[in-house]
Amino acid sequence: MSELGQFQDAFVAALHARTADPIAGWLPGGDRVGEAEPAGLAVYRNTIAKGCVDALAANFPTVASLVGDDWFRAAAALFAREHPPASAALLAYGEAFPDWLARFPPAGDLPYLPAMAQLDRMWTTALFAPEAEPLAAEAFALAPDILAAARPRLHPSLAFAWFDSGLPGLWLAAREPAPGEMTLSEDPQGALVVRPDHVVHSRRLDAAGFAFLASARDGAALGEAITAAAQADPAADLASLFAALIADGVFVGLDLGDPA
Amino acid sequence: MRPTAGLGLKPQHYADALAAEDEGLWFEVHPENYMAAGGPRLRALEAIRRQHPLSLHGVGLSLAADADPDPTHLAALKALADRFEPFVVSEHLAWSAWRGVHQPDLLPFPRTRAALDRIAGNIGRTQDALGRTILVENPSLYLPLTGHDYDETDFLAQLARRTGCGLLVDVNNVFVSASNLGYAAEAYLDALPAGAIGEIHLAGHGPDEGGSALLIDTHGAPVAEPVWALYRRLIDRIGPRPTLIERDDDIPAFAVLMAERDRAHGLLTGTGACACPQPVQEPAHV
Repeated sequence: MSELGQFQDAFVAALHARTADPIAGWLPGGDRVGEAEPAGLAVYRNTIAKGCVDALAANFPTVASLVGDDWFRAAAALFAREHPPASAALLAYGEAFPDWLARFPPAGDLPYLPAMAQLDRMWTTALFAPEAEPLAAEAFALAPDILAAARPRLHPSLAFAWFDSGLPGLWLAAREPAPGEMTLSEDPQGALVVRPDHVVHSRRLDAAGFAFLASARDGAALGEAITAAAQADPAADLASLFAALIADGVFVGLDLGDPA
Repeated sequence: MRPTAGLGLKPQHYADALAAEDEGLWFEVHPENYMAAGGPRLRALEAIRRQHPLSLHGVGLSLAADADPDPTHLAALKALADRFEPFVVSEHLAWSAWRGVHQPDLLPFPRTRAALDRIAGNIGRTQDALGRTILVENPSLYLPLTGHDYDETDFLAQLARRTGCGLLVDVNNVFVSASNLGYAAEAYLDALPAGAIGEIHLAGHGPDEGGSALLIDTHGAPVAEPVWALYRRLIDRIGPRPTLIERDDDIPAFAVLMAERDRAHGLLTGTGACACPQPVQEPAHV
């Protein structure tokens, strides 16, 4: 390997070891540099850490606001050491952060935190997702059998998930500009995130709504998705559910199949 | 309208930037912050680009790594350059990506003959991919490395001569590096080939919170007076060049940054009509 590549290996090793030893051959004084970390190396190490932590704070704002700045920055710095960015485009950095938080011992008494990170991740991903024009309500003015057989195409920014407790409600409350008292209900509920235009919308999803979207995502026709929604909650108002999803901008196309 | 003095564009200033009508005003962004499939950030940049000249100032191409530029990153950069038609594309004389890990900083290296070959090759690969020349910026330095075959000014001049790239002179980086490594900032600036210089950066610095005597290129404070003095010395010698006020931390109101920008605009227009050349197309014979 060339000297440049050797230097890069050595520099990375020095950053990790916090000592000049690996790069002693490129420092004045050579083998007399000793164990202490030179101030300049610490500057590079701190700048790298700050770049990672700032990116994570931008990508996981609800987590940061819930745990406070000091806790968040300490945790994010540890995460960045284990999972450094693979790309210079840091707006996608932190895919592994929710799962990492679930295994992070100091977060053990904050069991809601991984879900907050997962929901933040859904929001951030939606923010930078491809553009697509949602269908207006008029696009669904079709004969009932044709509508039931149509397979919806979902917005590329759409993300939704189901939780065994009221985590979406907690997350939505924490994202309010001036969060009030936040409580975690025991009611299972889902969350929907979509960016139909230039603003990311997020809201709670009930069991019927989640079943509908999960079915549609698997390629079901609208009739099948509505059936799935009715099975998930026989008392659901299916017309309102469908109208709300249209208003959310969840649908970007309809593939019209043959009526059954 | 020819670009005179510009500002680093921050999301909290999108509306102000869109509305600004100052003569010669332009904006610069890190393309890495816009490497997305879609979304409001790209739409805002599109709207601002319709009103003002734009520069793409990369921080992630890692030209000084002993490896070819990442083809995915290069393709994303080209897509942005094709879409936004910036008047300048620039990068740094530094490395950040190595063995699949991206270190979000601009890291140093020994300026050897082999490094010159490698980096000239990487600049060539970048320029070939983009179909245009780029500017290369001098980094801020914090470690007194040995084993250099070239001074940094010679190294940059050689890169310009070999590849046809231009230079982006960050005067604050010159001030910070000269202070940290113990050389004369004036001599450094005087040694740069005037014909290759296509853009100038001005930014603020601060002390090392770690307690050392190092100066840190924080981009978190107004441009310091000694840096303004060096800037005047540079443009007195080489003439006006598009000049950017960079601020990335502790960001004040748009009007506060515009006051600094107006100071640079005044210096540029006071020294004569702004020639504001494109990056040199012909090798500058040094």
